[in-house]
Amino acid sequence: MGSGWKRWFCELLRVPPEPQPPDGTPESIQTFLAGKNYYRWRVIQFGIVQFFIGLSMAAMLAAPLLSKKPHTAQFFTVWTFIVAGVVAGWALAALCGLIRITLDYQMRWYIVTDRSLRIRSGIWRVNEMTMTFANVQEIRVNAGPLQKLLGLSDVVVSSAGGSTHPGASHAARFAGVDNGDAIRDLITDRLRQYRDTGLGDPDAHKPAPLAVEDAARALLAEVRALRASGVLY
Amino acid sequence: MTEIPAHIAAIKRPSKKLWPYYVCVAVMTGIGFPVTIVVLFFKYHTMRYRFDAEGIRMSWGILFRQETVVNYARIQDIHLSSNFIERWFGIARIVVQTASGSAMGNLTLEGLTNCEEMRDFLYSRMRGAKEAHAHPATEDGLAGILMEIAGEVRAIRAAL
Repeated sequence: MGSGWKRWFCELLRVPPEPQPPDGTPESIQTFLAGKNYYRWRVIQFGIVQFFIGLSMAAMLAAPLLSKKPHTAQFFTVWTFIVAGVVAGWALAALCGLIRITLDYQMRWYIVTDRSLRIRSGIWRVNEMTMTFANVQEIRVNAGPLQKLLGLSDVVVSSAGGSTHPGASHAARFAGVDNGDAIRDLITDRLRQYRDTGLGDPDAHKPAPLAVEDAARALLAEVRALRASGVLY
Repeated sequence: MTEIPAHIAAIKRPSKKLWPYYVCVAVMTGIGFPVTIVVLFFKYHTMRYRFDAEGIRMSWGILFRQETVVNYARIQDIHLSSNFIERWFGIARIVVQTASGSAMGNLTLEGLTNCEEMRDFLYSRMRGAKEAHAHPATEDGLAGILMEIAGEVRAIRAAL
């Protein structure tokens, strides 16, 4: 599982190992990971948030010093302790946040087989979603301007259903991948084998009738023509 | 309809580890503890599962009884999730989604110790898990045969 601190953290949080791929032919199994720029992007986002938190804290801690009242030595002692405590707490929270982002990036798997997909993510709350392609309703590729700049996109594969329950959404999200178009094409290709509505129709497993119907119609036309020719009478 | 494995059919109640987890959840609600612990106590003691050949039936509650039935063929996706405390107790939950418009997950199986086995079992019963390539080939094959028959009949007519 990689470096010592990572193993220690994962054991502490009882994070399960890499997920098993769902059923499918072994040669069809493809595992995708978030792009390297996804990690950089998350760190930049985190850094910006931490910068503004630090700025706000600095303003709040400096405010008593701007007072025109003369400050005693006791005031400076107390103020120094408060500043040290706040900065230490902030640094610890920032370190934990950075560890969380790093592990969240590393412990994220997107597995696609010929029948289904499985997505595992999360450290504190581990979420694993399995969806068969028979149930897929929609594929979307989202990329904001910054994501585009970093060559990233999110591929969102949705099934039917309207749940917005945290951790139980009906959408599988390939977050921060650098090959979004390839994933979209792969899933689109896998979807071609299903022609039903994907809503669990009891007879949905029956083949699509169009080609069979055409052939049956051709047979019917020939038999009618044979009867009409009069040779059977 | 094929029978379900005996160890899955044998699951009638959540694991006993669910109760200490519920106590932790109630403690974390702070001043809401007295109310939460009573609700979770009755939820834990009345929670029942039934896995049969067609689907899952889950019920819980005394005053406000809830019962949910989900057919395996209607499952849209399966979520296996666990938070840090659940993992420390060795349990997890499986949220089963159907195509209904419920804002919550349609069915949440809580307190499962063999969650991966359960996930694999539910997956094996979902649509599309087994028959992915069989149907288009069957369809093409049937269409081809019918076209051949049509060709044969055409030839007979021409010969006659």
